[in-house]
Amino acid sequence: MTQVSRAAALERPATAAGVVSELDSDAAFSPSGALEWLWVTFTSMRLALALMLGLALLALAGSVIIQAPAGIASDQDTYNAWLVGLKPRYGGFTAIFDKLGLFSVFTSVWFRGLAVALTTSILACSIKRAPTLWKASVHPRTRMTDTFYESAPYSDSIATEATAQDALATTQRVFRANRYRTIVDVDEKSHTTHLYVDQNRWAPFGTVIAHLAVVVILAGAMVGSLLGYRDEGFAVPVGSTVPVGGGTGLSVLATAFSDSYYENGAPSDYSSSLVIYRDGVQVASKTIRVNDPLEYEGTAFFQSFFGPAAVMAVSDANGASLYQGGVPLLWSSDDDSRRIGQMTLSAQNIIVYVVGVASGRVDPNIRAGQMQLEIYRGGEQQPFAIETLTQGQPLAIQGLTYTFEREQQFTGLIVARDPGQPLVWLGALALVLGCFLVFMFPNRRIWAQIKARSDGTGEVHLGATARHDAAFAPEFTKLADQVRLAFGPAA
Amino acid sequence: MFKMSEYSFMAGLLSVGLALLCYVLAFASVRLARRESALALEGGPAGAVMGGAQSVEVTRGPSGLAGYGSLIAWLALAFVSAALIFRTIVVGHGPFANMYEFSIAFAWGVLAAHVYFERRYRLRVLGLFALPVALLLLLYATTIPSTFDPLVPALQNNLLLTTHVAVAIVAYGGFAVAFAAAALHLLASYTGSRRLPRLELLDEISYRAVVIGFPFLTLVIVLGAVWANVAWGRYWGWDPKETASLVTWLIYGAYLHARVVRGWRGNRAAWLLVLGFAATLFTYFGNLFFGGLHSYSGLQ
Repeated sequence: MTQVSRAAALERPATAAGVVSELDSDAAFSPSGALEWLWVTFTSMRLALALMLGLALLALAGSVIIQAPAGIASDQDTYNAWLVGLKPRYGGFTAIFDKLGLFSVFTSVWFRGLAVALTTSILACSIKRAPTLWKASVHPRTRMTDTFYESAPYSDSIATEATAQDALATTQRVFRANRYRTIVDVDEKSHTTHLYVDQNRWAPFGTVIAHLAVVVILAGAMVGSLLGYRDEGFAVPVGSTVPVGGGTGLSVLATAFSDSYYENGAPSDYSSSLVIYRDGVQVASKTIRVNDPLEYEGTAFFQSFFGPAAVMAVSDANGASLYQGGVPLLWSSDDDSRRIGQMTLSAQNIIVYVVGVASGRVDPNIRAGQMQLEIYRGGEQQPFAIETLTQGQPLAIQGLTYTFEREQQFTGLIVARDPGQPLVWLGALALVLGCFLVFMFPNRRIWAQIKARSDGTGEVHLGATARHDAAFAPEFTKLADQVRLAFGPAA
Repeated sequence: MFKMSEYSFMAGLLSVGLALLCYVLAFASVRLARRESALALEGGPAGAVMGGAQSVEVTRGPSGLAGYGSLIAWLALAFVSAALIFRTIVVGHGPFANMYEFSIAFAWGVLAAHVYFERRYRLRVLGLFALPVALLLLLYATTIPSTFDPLVPALQNNLLLTTHVAVAIVAYGGFAVAFAAAALHLLASYTGSRRLPRLELLDEISYRAVVIGFPFLTLVIVLGAVWANVAWGRYWGWDPKETASLVTWLIYGAYLHARVVRGWRGNRAAWLLVLGFAATLFTYFGNLFFGGLHSYSGLQ
C-alpha cells in the first residue's frame, strides 16, 4: 500500500455519503446498515477531533470551577451546604453550574459520555488502520508507475550509462550506507528494475501502540475505580493498632510519628513507623515518609497528615476493658479552637466525642491535661452526659468508667489498593514509547526505478511522497545527491 | 555562587531584551527599505520582487542587525544556562522548585528551542514572537523574590523533581516555538506581507516543534502520574494542574490529528496552536490562582 493509495483510503467521506443516502432511501431498519453507519461515524476524524476538543473544554471547566470534594455529593444536606458556600463566588451561576454538573465535571454524564465515545473512536480507527500499516510495513508496494515519478512531491532523475545491474548495485549501496532497507523487484517484461527502500518501517505502529495505550490506561482506571479501595483519612494514634477496611484483612500499628521543621518553620520531614498485621501476625514494617510509602501485597500506605490524639480507657462495672487505645482528634471545631475525636462502644450502643483544646489555644472549660467527653446513645440527638476528665483520674459515668490516660499524636495515612495500576503503567509506558516511536523515528519510504536501454543510455528515477515528515526534504536531496555522486562524473 | 546566579540572570534578561530589539529594528528597517523601494518604483511588480529579495536577505542573511540579534540570543541562552547552573549549585537540587526558578528554566527552554529552530531553518524572524515569550518569563521572574527555602517533604524526590520538570521545559520550549511560528503565520496571512517567510515554511516549523513537544508533554504527564502515585497515593486525582496539562495534551493531540489525518494547514491550524500555547501558559501559571496540590510557588 502506498502513500497515494493510503490517501485514497482516507477519502472515505464519499463512501460515507453513499451509506447515508442509502439509509435515507431505504427507510426500513437494516442491522448491517446501522453497523456500517456506526463504523463510518466512529472512524471519522472529524468526530474524533470534536471529542478531543470537547473533552478539553470540559476538563478546562473542571480545572477553573471549584469541584465538589469526593464523597460530598452522596449526602444531599452536606452538598447543599457546600453549594451555599459557593454563592458569594459564583452568584446566580451556582444553580446553573450545579444543573449542568459542572461542580463534578469528571463524574458527569457529559465527561464520561465523551470519554466512552472517544475510546470507541480510538478503537475503531486503530482497527481500521492497523491492516494498512501492516501491509505497508511487511508487503510494501515495490513498483511505481512512470506517472508517480513525474508527479511525486519529491522526485529526481539521474542519467547513467551503466548497465541495469550496475546501476541497481550503485543505487542500493548508497541507500544501504544510509541505513535504508532495500527491496529489489525486477520487471522482466518492461526491462525495468524497481527498487523500494525504507527506514524505520516499524515506527508507524507507534500510532497504533499509542492509541491502544490510551484505551489500556482508561481500562486500568476503570478497574481501579470498580475494584480498588481508598481511604484518605486513615488515622492511627501512636501506640494503637487500627484495622484497615475494604476487605484487606490488615491492621496497622503505628509505633512512632515525628514531624520536623526547618529554621524558617517550613516542614522538613514527616515520618511514621508502621507495623502491618494480618490476622494478628506481623507481615511488614517500615518507617514511611512523604514520597516513600509502604506497600504490602498491593495495599500501600502513604504519609498524609497528623494531629493530636487522646489515649482513652473504658471499662464496665466489673472492671472488664471495653476500650483501650488512642482516639485521633480528627476534626476541628468551626472556630478552630477545639479538636474533636470519636470513640464508639458498639456493644453498649454508645458514641463518645472526645474534645480537646487545639494547640496554642486556651479554653476556660477544658484546661491543660484535660479532655471533655460528650456521650450519646446511638440515634439520639442530645448527649446524656458532658463531663471533663483530668489526665489519669478515672470517672464513672452511668456504670462505665472512663479514663483519659495521656495525650499522644496520631499519624494520618492514605491507604490505597488499586488493582488497575499495572494496566495504567503498562498503558503509560506504551503511550510514551508509541509517541516517541512515531515522532522521533520517521518512517521514510523512497521508490526508485532503473531503466537501462540497449543503446547504453539510461536513468535512475527517484520518487517519494512523505506528506507528514517535515524534515524529509533535506534528507531526500542529500540521498539524491549521493546517488548522483556515486554514478560519477560520467553521469 | 548565589550572586553569580543573580548576575547571570540579569545579563540573560538584558541580552534577551537586546536581541529582541535587534530583531524588531531589523524587521522595521526591511519594512522601511521596502516602502522606499516601492515608492521609487511606483509599487510596480519589480518593487514587490525587490522587497521580497530584501526580506530574504535580512531574515536569512548572515550579517546585519538580525545577525547581531541572533548572536545575542545565543549569548542570552549562555547567560540563562549559567544562571541555572549556579542556582543548582546553590540550592543543591534542580532549579525547578518554585516559580522563580521554574520561570527562568521555562525561559531557558524557550530560548533553547528558538536558537535550535532558528539555526535549523535559518529563520531569524521567528525571534519576533519567541523572544518576547522568554523576555516576559524572565521579567516575571524579577517580580518574585529569588530567596530559596529548603524543600518541603512533598518535593523531596530529587530524581522525579529533576526529570518531571526538565522534561516539561523541553515540551514548553517546543510549544513556544510552535506558537511563534503560528503567530507569524497569522500575521503573514492577515497582512499579506511579503516580508515574512513563506506560509508553508511557518506551518512546517510549527508542526516540527509540536512533534518534539508532544511526546515530551506525554512524558511529563506520565512522570507526574508516577510521582503523584508515590507522594499522594494515586496516579491521577484531577488536581487542577493535572487537569490543565491534560487539556493542553488534548489540544495538541487534536492539532496533530487535524494536520496529519485531515490535512489542516494555514490559519485554522495556526489558531489551534495559539490555543494550545494559551493552555500551556494556563497550565504553567494556573497554580497561582486555582490552588491545588502543585502550590509550591513560593509566593504565599
